[in-house]
Amino acid sequence: MKILVPLKRVADPDNANKIKVNGGKIDTTGLEWKLNPFDEYAVETALRLTENGANTKARLGEVVVVTLGPKETETTLRSALATGADRAIRIDAGDDAIDGDTVAHALAALIKKENFDLILLGKQAVDGDSNQVPQLLAEYLGWPQATFAATIKSEADKALVVGREVDGGTLNVRVQLPAVVSVDLRIVAPKSVTSVHTAPTHNYADGVRFAALMQIMAAKKKPLVEVKLADLGVTAAPKIEYVGFELPPARKAGVKVANVADLVGKLRNEAKAL
Amino acid sequence: MTKPIQAINRYKADLREMNFLLFEQFKIGNLLGKGAFEAWGEDEVKSTLSSCYRFVKEVLGPLNVVGDQEGCKIVDGRVVAPTGFKEAWKQLYEMGFRTIATDPEYGGAGAPHSVQVLVEELCSGANTAFNMYPGLAFGAAEVIEYFGTPEQKKTYVERMYNGTWGGTMCLTESQAGSDVGSAKTTAVRNEDGTYSIRGTKIYISGGDHNLSFGDNTIHLVLARIDGAPAGTKGLTLFVVPRMRFDENGVNTGSNDVHVTALEHKMGINGSATCVVNFGDDNGCIGYPVGGESELNKGMPQMFKMMNGARIAVGIQGVSVASAAYLNALDYAKDRKQGSSMAHWKDATAPRVSIIEHADVRRMLLDMKARVEGIRALAVKLSNHQDLAKALAGQDDALAAYHQGQVDLLVPLAKSYGSDQAFRVCETAIQTYGGAGYTRDYPVEQYCRDSKIFSIYEGTNHIQAMDLVGRKLGQAGGANLQAFLGDVAKFIAANKDHEVLGADLKRLASAQEAVGGSAMRLLMWFQTGNVTMVPLNANRFLEMMSEVAVGWLLLDGAAIAAAALKELPAGHADASFYQGKIAAAQFYARNVLPGVEAKAALMGNEDKSAVDLSVEAFATV
Ligand SMILES: Cc1cc2nc3c(=O)[nH]c(=O)nc-3n(C[C@H](O)[C@H](O)[C@H](O)COP(=O)(O)OP(=O)(O)OC[C@H]3O[C@@H](n4cnc5c(N)ncnc54)[C@H](O)[C@@H]3O)c2cc1C
Ligand SMILES: Cc1cc2nc3c(=O)[nH]c(=O)nc-3n(C[C@H](O)[C@H](O)[C@H](O)COP(=O)(O)OP(=O)(O)OC[C@H]3O[C@@H](n4cnc5c(N)ncnc54)[C@H](O)[C@@H]3O)c2cc1C
Repeated sequence: MKILVPLKRVADPDNANKIKVNGGKIDTTGLEWKLNPFDEYAVETALRLTENGANTKARLGEVVVVTLGPKETETTLRSALATGADRAIRIDAGDDAIDGDTVAHALAALIKKENFDLILLGKQAVDGDSNQVPQLLAEYLGWPQATFAATIKSEADKALVVGREVDGGTLNVRVQLPAVVSVDLRIVAPKSVTSVHTAPTHNYADGVRFAALMQIMAAKKKPLVEVKLADLGVTAAPKIEYVGFELPPARKAGVKVANVADLVGKLRNEAKAL
Repeated sequence: MTKPIQAINRYKADLREMNFLLFEQFKIGNLLGKGAFEAWGEDEVKSTLSSCYRFVKEVLGPLNVVGDQEGCKIVDGRVVAPTGFKEAWKQLYEMGFRTIATDPEYGGAGAPHSVQVLVEELCSGANTAFNMYPGLAFGAAEVIEYFGTPEQKKTYVERMYNGTWGGTMCLTESQAGSDVGSAKTTAVRNEDGTYSIRGTKIYISGGDHNLSFGDNTIHLVLARIDGAPAGTKGLTLFVVPRMRFDENGVNTGSNDVHVTALEHKMGINGSATCVVNFGDDNGCIGYPVGGESELNKGMPQMFKMMNGARIAVGIQGVSVASAAYLNALDYAKDRKQGSSMAHWKDATAPRVSIIEHADVRRMLLDMKARVEGIRALAVKLSNHQDLAKALAGQDDALAAYHQGQVDLLVPLAKSYGSDQAFRVCETAIQTYGGAGYTRDYPVEQYCRDSKIFSIYEGTNHIQAMDLVGRKLGQAGGANLQAFLGDVAKFIAANKDHEVLGADLKRLASAQEAVGGSAMRLLMWFQTGNVTMVPLNANRFLEMMSEVAVGWLLLDGAAIAAAALKELPAGHADASFYQGKIAAAQFYARNVLPGVEAKAALMGNEDKSAVDLSVEAFATV
């Protein structure tokens, strides 16, 4: 199976306290960048679908990672190569000049040039939380889609049974390949991804795999190509306009209640939670 | 009811600080991408540190308290390490961090030492006791890589580097601690050229364990061959496997090596400290490291390798001290107690986080300065190692200068690093108040774990004597002169610095005081006043370390001040650089002036401690 995983770098969510708003815009100077966590899960999922879990050194498919962004975003691509992805593509673009729609158009154009069996994406990026690119992309490609995957079972690499995260449980859908699938948090549980290559008894470590030293060193030698938006016939024409940003208000101090009756009273009358 | 053990990670590290040292202060970028470090670029270094940090937080960190509270035990004659250590060993070797700086010929990644010490800091900080097992296997393998016969290298080195086998250093015996030359373990030559080893070693870290893939441990044992001279000149280093094995390395049977007891200790409880008996049944075979030509050369061989081991102990100090500081900092931001001094008369004034109190801030900045100082010293030292390696064969004079600085600075990194570590941990407990004294927080364990660093690998007094007795005079005193010259050059270049000028004057006075005290030590040697030397050796080591650390902190601060000027307003790095400047100034103003005071104490030539009769110390 040949899988494309689009990636986005986001300001390190652990350093959210460093984020500043300047003139109604988020000031990105000096922020630490990280791969969007949901995209990390997508890479992990793609790797699990293209290997035998008992012998991860032998590749049984191809995982290509792609991002839209300036030169520095190659660091993000290399970090995915270091966990095991096979090659990378950077579509050159400024951080400000793109929105989800531009990204979806650029990806669709790229995918039409190369054949992929599956496009795996994180369900959303933790910066804007837009949750749009997977759905737009499926639409522009005219491919089937399954969003918020908590489980994926690959049937002979021809179709997938995707357990979608929905209120109160999971909803199983079957999609024919090629397809677009976006993943949710639980996809990296030890038994969430099953394929014809890995024994059903195999247990993965919970979460995404570590980048081993030799893989980090090998990442440098893996192919990474740059593509221009123009080469894809796409012009950046953002449809979304951000009118302004502001930091959430500081949390107010709490109050101490004297006893349980007092607490229940406050919950009922002031918070109206009961 | 006692509280259950919770396997959660408490370890924290500051990768921004590590990257600052590597790329901004010591500019290792100049070394990367060529020569010996061809395969390495800035991206690889940064990815390695962040991947390693994630690994230690998720795998080694949660086991730190487990190892401390569970300890090790002997079951059916075998040492069983704490729960989870075996799986952690497997994952560590899969990650490849252990051999980051090892020659690719042995499966290593050939990274600079300066990167290796920081990887070491991450592993050791997350779990000092665990990290001892792979650390000792590594150290023993290095000895064989350096001194072994071609066949010994082929048999042992890669297997000890990749986790197949463990390893130990067996020097200490009950009557031979600091006094290694008193070792009584014997070696008798057999007809086939092997040696039969007999004796008991004590305090052997990782003397046995159930972690390695091939379930074998390779001991390096100092022993005396029949008829060899007394003292250190008669000691030979032997390779002694716990189990005999076939050509594939598969165990075939016992080599008569047994752990008979474990020590109960103050700290590093997850590391088995063993009494190891060799040849109780006359069935223990050993092989001299390097073969028959290297008999009685055990001590010179050990000396050659000691630099690495001593730097590693200094790094243990940095690692635990840093973890203690960063935990105390977190706690101080969170804990509310007392009100601001500004409202000291108002009993109803709002409670503030203790980081708002001046004295808590003093403790925090004191810890920050010391931690960053000893880390800078360790990285500077390893940078000298890298430059010595990179310049060898190209500019031998310059390479010799760098190697000279390595030799000179090793006792400082080991002793000052370990002494300060214990003190930082103590300050961290004080910062917490009562909570720090309990096992609900990690700092009391850090404090217990860190005490051993000033004792093993040569006690800190043995280090101080190595400094004043050997290192100061090495190369005709040229290494010391070069060190003082490096500091002087920095002072000359920055003495009118707009932010740091006044602090550079303090460094200059301290540097002069160290130069003068070195002359005084020489005079004591020359005038036969030798009892003054050991009385002041530790003090001198501390003074010289303080100058080294003050210099490196101020050097970092000058770089930070320049970077700060270039930053656009509101840049997230601004507070990082301000912190670097403040730590250096705090150290220059609160520690460096003490160097002159200590020089004056040396001048007093107080001998009261040696003049006193033994009976007068106490009446019991
Ligand atoms: C947890 C732990 C792990 C260890 N791991 C190992 C290991 O893996 N392998 C190994 O071989 N050893 C190991 N050791 C032993 C360690 O290296 C010794 O404890 C150390 O060398 C000091 O020796 P000693 O304990 O016999 O103390 P002593 O030598 O008895 O020293 C006691 C005191 O006297 C001082 N002193 C001793 N001689 C002199 C002198 N000539 N002049 C001035 N002062 C002196 C010392 O500085 C010290 O303050 C370990 C010890 C511990 C506690
Ligand atoms: C083993 C043990 C036994 C104990 N036994 C008893 C007992 O029998 N009875 C009893 O009543 N208590 C007991 N205690 C509690 C002990 O007295 C408190 O731990 C101690 O008073 C410190 O308070 P704290 O732990 O809340 O630390 P905190 O008050 O939170 O102090 C934390 C840090 O902040 C600093 N700090 C706090 N306030 C200020 C301020 N206003 N200005 C500047 N710095 C400040 C402190 O100096 C300290 O460094 C015991 C504690 C322990 C650990």
